[in-house]
Amino acid sequence: MALGADRYASRADTLVFIGCVLLSVAAMSLPDRVRDPFTRAVRQWVLAPLLALQQQTDLLSASLERYDAVVAQRDSAALAATFVPELRSENTRLRGLLGLGARLASGYVPAEVLHAAEPTSPLTFVVAAGRKQGVKPLSAVVSPEGLVGIVSTVDAQTSVVVSWAHPEFRASAMAADGSIYGIVAPHGTEGPRTWLLELQGVAYRQLVPEGTTILTSGLGGVLPRGIPIGTVVRAAGEAEGWERTYLVRPAVHPAAVTHVMILTGPPVKSDLRSVFQSGGETP
Amino acid sequence: MRRSDKYRFWVILGVLVVLQFSLRGRLGGDRVAPDFLLLALLIYTIRAAPGPSAGVGFLVGLLRDALTPASFGAGALAHTLVGYLSSWSKAVFFAENLFVNGCLFFAGTWFRNLVVALASGKLKGGLLGWELLVWSPIQSLTTAVAGVLVLWLFGRHLAIRLSDA
Repeated sequence: MALGADRYASRADTLVFIGCVLLSVAAMSLPDRVRDPFTRAVRQWVLAPLLALQQQTDLLSASLERYDAVVAQRDSAALAATFVPELRSENTRLRGLLGLGARLASGYVPAEVLHAAEPTSPLTFVVAAGRKQGVKPLSAVVSPEGLVGIVSTVDAQTSVVVSWAHPEFRASAMAADGSIYGIVAPHGTEGPRTWLLELQGVAYRQLVPEGTTILTSGLGGVLPRGIPIGTVVRAAGEAEGWERTYLVRPAVHPAAVTHVMILTGPPVKSDLRSVFQSGGETP
Repeated sequence: MRRSDKYRFWVILGVLVVLQFSLRGRLGGDRVAPDFLLLALLIYTIRAAPGPSAGVGFLVGLLRDALTPASFGAGALAHTLVGYLSSWSKAVFFAENLFVNGCLFFAGTWFRNLVVALASGKLKGGLLGWELLVWSPIQSLTTAVAGVLVLWLFGRHLAIRLSDA
């Protein structure tokens, strides 16, 4: 086909144009029985590759859109799945807390832990119960597993709790059978040692077997008797041959606690050992 | 015109045809996306004589009519008119200028839609007004933009001399 850059319409051009117009008009007046086979043939033989291309492109486009939707659904499912163990754990903790409340009968305030996004938050944390709920300083803060800490400062609606991991925490403790007494304090102030306790002041002649449960002794009148503190892991050292120190694995980790009980008054039972032992049997 | 330029010319037109059946579906609705097939025809008419332009327009229209049998013949007539008038008016009136070519693409698209709408008789009243005053101008604009882009990128290969005016 000749291509000319500068040209006007020649007679041949005009004749071609008129012929095409007439053919177009004739095509418009074609009856369906002639038109349909013609258009079908054009689609099947001339336009087939282009229509196939269009079909593939549409499929690809739809696939991409479906892929996005599938990826979004998968992400949502994965996100939901990550929360399932967390929800189950929290559910178990809440059930345990409810059971503990029922066993304590009275003299406690339930509170939600207001976690702060700071590395030091497990040392001290804020709970959503304060003076208006009857919370007092030095009240024991417990979870179904055992002692979490003691109340340090009380505001109208909130309280600051010093957990057992805080360097200033101390509690009078005893073995579960009452044979050994000592003072429980944090094992260290830095690194992983922070998350262990130690039982200090045990008489040298008294050996504490591994696995012994350590409870609050109630001596000093601050903490009620019988709240689990942890389990003896091993001996940590001796001091001048007259006392022994033992490492204690805490019963509860402050960072894992979402709800607590604050013991605000004298409990029905003077020894809470049975309350927490029952808690261990709760599913 | 060099021999390699001639091949490139047909390759570019071929690419536009492929784009019509591949990319166009992803550029918005049918009524607003650029018409690459008509663009290929209009670019062809810039260099071809009015007779061949009318013939090619007729064939392009006939192919399109095969996809829209309800208005069979209207597309052939519209593309014949657009092809002939575009080629003729380019020779008589228009300079080789990017903006002028853009206007040609715009007018060609709008005129094609006008002829198809009138010749098919499918659109009447308000629908015809919407088609000619809203949808057609939008499609004409997108087609003109695409055409200007093609000429700007490949004008050298299409052997179309573009002045700065």
